[in-house]
Amino acid sequence: MKKGEERVMEEEDDQQKAADLVHELVLRLLSQNPQTPTPDPTSPSFLKTLRYAHRILRSRLTPSVSPDASAIAESLKRRLATHGRSSDALAFADLYAKFSSKTGPGSVNNKWSLLYLLRIVSEDRQSAVTGLDSSLLLPNLNLGDEPVSSSSSSLGRNKKSNNGVLLVSKDPENLRDVAFREYASLIKEESEVTEEVLVRDVLYACQGIDGKYVKFNSEIDGYAVVDYVKVPRGTRTMVRMLSELGWLFKKVKSFVSESMDRFPGEHVGTVGQAFCAALQDELSDYYKLLAVLEAQGMNPIPLVSESATSSCYLSLRRLSVWFAEPMVKMRLMAVLVDKCKVLRGGAMAGAIHLHAQHGDPLVHEFMMSLLRCVCSPLFEMVRSWVLEGELEDTFGEFFVVGQPVKVDLLWREGYKLHHGMLPSFISPSLAQRILRTGKSINFLRVCCDDHGWAGAASEAAAASGTTTRRGGLGYGETDALEHLVAEAAKRIDKHLLDVLYTRYKFKEHCLAIKRYLLLGQGDFVQYLMDIVGPKLSEPANNISSFELAGFLEAAIRASNAQYDDRDMLDRLKVKMMPHGSGDRGWDVFSLEYEARAPLDTVFTESVLSKYLRVFNFLWKLKRVEHALIGIWKTMKPNCITSNSFAKLQASVKLQLLSALRRCQVLWNEMNHFVTNFQYYIMFEVLEVSWCNFSKEMEAAKDLDDLLAAHEKYLNFIVGKSLLGEQSQTIRKSLFVLFELILRFRSHADRLYEGIYELQIRTKEPGRERNKTQESSSWINEGRKAITQRAGEFLQSMSQDMDSIAKEYTTSLDAFLSLLPLQQSVDLKFLFFRLDFTEFYSRLHSKGKES
Amino acid sequence: MPREIITLQVGQCGNQIGMEFWKQLCLEHGISKDGILEDFATQGGDRKDVFFYQADDQHYIPRALLIDLEPRVINGIQNGDYRNLYNHENIFVADHGGGAGNNWASGYHQGKGVEEEIMDMIDREADGSDSLEGFVLCHSIAGGTGSGMGSYLLETLNDRYSKKLVQTYSVFPNQMETSDVVVQPYNSLLTLKRLTLNADCVVVLDNTALTRIAVERLHLTNPTFAQTNSLVSTVMSASTTTLRYPGYMNNDLVGLLASLIPTPRCHFLMTGYTPLTVERQANVIRKTTVLDVMRRLLQPKNVMVSSYARNKEASQAKYISILNIIQGEVDPTQVHESLQRIRERKLVNFIEWGPASIQVALSKKSPYVQTAHRVSGLMLASHTSIRHLFSKCLSQYDKLRKKQAFLDNYRKFPMFDNDLSEFDEARDIIESLVDEYKACESPDYIKWGMEDPEQLVTGEGSASGVVDPRMAF
Repeated sequence: MKKGEERVMEEEDDQQKAADLVHELVLRLLSQNPQTPTPDPTSPSFLKTLRYAHRILRSRLTPSVSPDASAIAESLKRRLATHGRSSDALAFADLYAKFSSKTGPGSVNNKWSLLYLLRIVSEDRQSAVTGLDSSLLLPNLNLGDEPVSSSSSSLGRNKKSNNGVLLVSKDPENLRDVAFREYASLIKEESEVTEEVLVRDVLYACQGIDGKYVKFNSEIDGYAVVDYVKVPRGTRTMVRMLSELGWLFKKVKSFVSESMDRFPGEHVGTVGQAFCAALQDELSDYYKLLAVLEAQGMNPIPLVSESATSSCYLSLRRLSVWFAEPMVKMRLMAVLVDKCKVLRGGAMAGAIHLHAQHGDPLVHEFMMSLLRCVCSPLFEMVRSWVLEGELEDTFGEFFVVGQPVKVDLLWREGYKLHHGMLPSFISPSLAQRILRTGKSINFLRVCCDDHGWAGAASEAAAASGTTTRRGGLGYGETDALEHLVAEAAKRIDKHLLDVLYTRYKFKEHCLAIKRYLLLGQGDFVQYLMDIVGPKLSEPANNISSFELAGFLEAAIRASNAQYDDRDMLDRLKVKMMPHGSGDRGWDVFSLEYEARAPLDTVFTESVLSKYLRVFNFLWKLKRVEHALIGIWKTMKPNCITSNSFAKLQASVKLQLLSALRRCQVLWNEMNHFVTNFQYYIMFEVLEVSWCNFSKEMEAAKDLDDLLAAHEKYLNFIVGKSLLGEQSQTIRKSLFVLFELILRFRSHADRLYEGIYELQIRTKEPGRERNKTQESSSWINEGRKAITQRAGEFLQSMSQDMDSIAKEYTTSLDAFLSLLPLQQSVDLKFLFFRLDFTEFYSRLHSKGKES
Repeated sequence: MPREIITLQVGQCGNQIGMEFWKQLCLEHGISKDGILEDFATQGGDRKDVFFYQADDQHYIPRALLIDLEPRVINGIQNGDYRNLYNHENIFVADHGGGAGNNWASGYHQGKGVEEEIMDMIDREADGSDSLEGFVLCHSIAGGTGSGMGSYLLETLNDRYSKKLVQTYSVFPNQMETSDVVVQPYNSLLTLKRLTLNADCVVVLDNTALTRIAVERLHLTNPTFAQTNSLVSTVMSASTTTLRYPGYMNNDLVGLLASLIPTPRCHFLMTGYTPLTVERQANVIRKTTVLDVMRRLLQPKNVMVSSYARNKEASQAKYISILNIIQGEVDPTQVHESLQRIRERKLVNFIEWGPASIQVALSKKSPYVQTAHRVSGLMLASHTSIRHLFSKCLSQYDKLRKKQAFLDNYRKFPMFDNDLSEFDEARDIIESLVDEYKACESPDYIKWGMEDPEQLVTGEGSASGVVDPRMAF
């Protein structure tokens, strides 16, 4: 078969081939002649016959019948059938079908002529057998040796013949016809099974069924012609190639049926299901193709001409053409099936998407349609998530995963991106937006008890041109998806922020926290300090938080806080921190702000604990300030200046003067420190951060922005208030200073107490003496004793004051030397404030010099 | 618990500036002339109860006592627009209505006479407050009632309410024009003694400077008292903003004053204000950054105390403390930068014996008062150059005293009937005050008045320092 085919196909040696064919034909015809023994191709008689044949072929005779190839083929077939050679008729039909379908370069052009020639030749032979001398079989060719007899006989026979004229096409290509026939018979000789059978088997194999000869061979893992049948190797290979489709089909099919069987199960999911459905669709297309092929293959192509041979419509070669496209698809499907075996959901869609990036339009088209199916459940999930906040994901296929959490953690931990399920055609940023949008809806629904989002969602849907119904989106419409998500995100987030800002008064709460926890409401803080202060000096065990709550309420009522929203004031609570045995009230008292849903998403426990630390720090600072102001009150101008100590001895007076001056100067230094530290806290920390936070709050587009802004705000405060991790050393040295100041207060109090007593004694000794004869020991001892006592008292006070001053200087020096080492620029601002007049730098350089 | 402050307006001048002050407060708090809260005044955030209390009928009533020995000014108030604002029980006018005749001794003496009546009023007012912070006295130091009676009240308050703060807004006489009060130097000196000894803080309102400002800065050829008084009321209301609009800091008078007055004796504060306008005067809107405000506040031309210092002395003068109260919409982030600029350009001289810095308080501006400028600033400062004002008083006193002029008017009253030692004592005190201010200019203030303390402490040396220690307290 191969040989014949090639012969037909080869065009270049057409002429030579035609000559060869004629040679062959003559040889065959002669060899069939019983009178002439096997002809010797080199014998002169043979050569003569050949020459004759050539001459006929070269003649310009035309046949009388109309040139209809199919009619001739049909008549040939019928004749074979009537002669009881039905199998030959079928073979002819098949051959003819193949023959007639051959078009294009290299194929026979005037098929009719060829068929006609073959018919004439065949008829001639038969008539010779039936009616004439067998020697006259193919008389027209049997000429050379005996020109006379043979010419007469041939003429006679020619006259006798029914047709009267031997009509042979002069087209040399008719020779191919001959070759083709010969080739068909060659094949028949070579193979034990006909091609039709193989074609049928291949078609079976392609449906995953073992045929008669083509069976599944597990050794080579594929379909092949069984070994015991003898077929040409070419055919064998061909069958093997074609039946790859069957192998692929089997793989796909088994995947589909397996998946379908497992459904509904964790491992398949809706995306898997959609994938199976899409595959199933493709398979049914494939079935259709096979059915058509099968039907066509069984029906030989009808021929008009009786004499023409016809064969089945399909050959293996035809099949290979037919199978080209399904093969590509099936291969793809098989690859996908392999890839997707272990994947689910978004991951599966992503894996399929990776294969869609293909230049071949066929593949691309195919993949697109497949992906549209596969992604539709996924996109439906996106849609319902983004517009309704519903997580319709029974099988864990979506790239957003929800987990049951407490309400306050809903935003932060309630939903997460599952990166494994994120198909690559959705960018991470888009995924993030999708996550946030649905999260916003859920947050609104669960935490804010809000239903206004539905309006925002439908608005978003309308704006993006998608209806809220299902299946509005599909794969490939990434732009539409992005648009939808963007619209939905914009509106939902805006709505969410609106709800937070207006209904839940986020900004007001932040402000309330700033005013109460960050001590912004000065009058409130002051009053609280006034009434709680004495109580807090007691041991922590003695203090009931109930009592403190009463003080807090009193402070609210007495200050401008009373005009604040009751809702906010109700959230302000006293918090007693866990305390040890030695703790004073100061160590355990603090305020906290109760964050209710939905604001507890912003003010989480950790956030509140940070606020608590800031409060404790600021409270401590206020306490120190309060102590300093307390000292000033006792040494305030008209208390000191209005009293002259005229009756005191000059030396004592100087001592007194020195003690007072020392106290004032030290007070001034401490007050300078505390005041400027407070200015620093106010301007560089609280106000600046609030300013920035307010701006960022305005600019925030979604809750994440807002959370980030708040986080930044709080961290800024914590960091700048020296509460951060890295400022532990400096904080310690700051607290040392605070301790010193508090110690200074008790000293100063004692000093002034002593001085006032002295004042009373010296001012109106007469009256005093009469009144407090018994109680006052100083008076009884007389003036001299008073002077001596005073001197001793002042001396010891001065010494104490000196030691505190010294300690303070050292500690302050330590603190100031730590400041430049701090990372934050703002702490340099603090140093700048503290050393505004360069008092400390001068002192420092002076200290160095000496 | 609003830390109430009770205002005492004594004498003609005191009542005039007091009246202006209350007008301004009413405007800023949205309180009508009758004491009723205006409908628009709902924006809150302000503390009215520091200076007002609410009567049963929702009237806001100033915690103010209007005291005078002659009825003219008070009658004016009682017949004026604001007649329904004040509590009429808090108005005291002497029965005879003859005034004090510009005689400190007369005012002081009459004060003693009506002490009980006035202290009753003060006690009643004090009892009506939860946590009285202190008293503010408005008066002039030159006349008779404000200076004499004011002095008496200062002593009494110091005695009776020693734990409470006493702040005064004291108007110093215009030195540039010849006063009709010839005994002004006597009155001033005697009042200054009380201001030094019995007040916690004296805000010096120098009529000389106020007139100068009115003429030079506001381009008024002949400024009236009403016009200078509106400057005073602006300063008074601005200096109380942090009390009335609570913020993170400076919420009470003690806190405000403590940082300003580290040395008890040096408690005389001078003020500066910008932008300066008289009521309803059309004003060019200026560029107002924090730096601008702070820089302008440091310019002598905006300071409401005239400096009589000669150049050399002026360069020695130093700030003991500065507090800038800036009102209006200010970006708090600018504060630091402004401070830096001021230090770079060495615009301020501070004391050298201790740390000091410019304190800046940002305060809200009343939403009810429309002003042409976005930002305004008030400076309260303790500056050593104020000693020249006192020196001037001393020299004028000395001139008059040398001539033994007008002393008979004083001898009529018991305080002076034996001798004039009161004058001498007052003079000593003022002189030592001047010395203390001068000492503050040196870095060795800490040792001032205690030369050779070792010796003194052991009692071996004499008590003679540079200054009589008696006066050094």
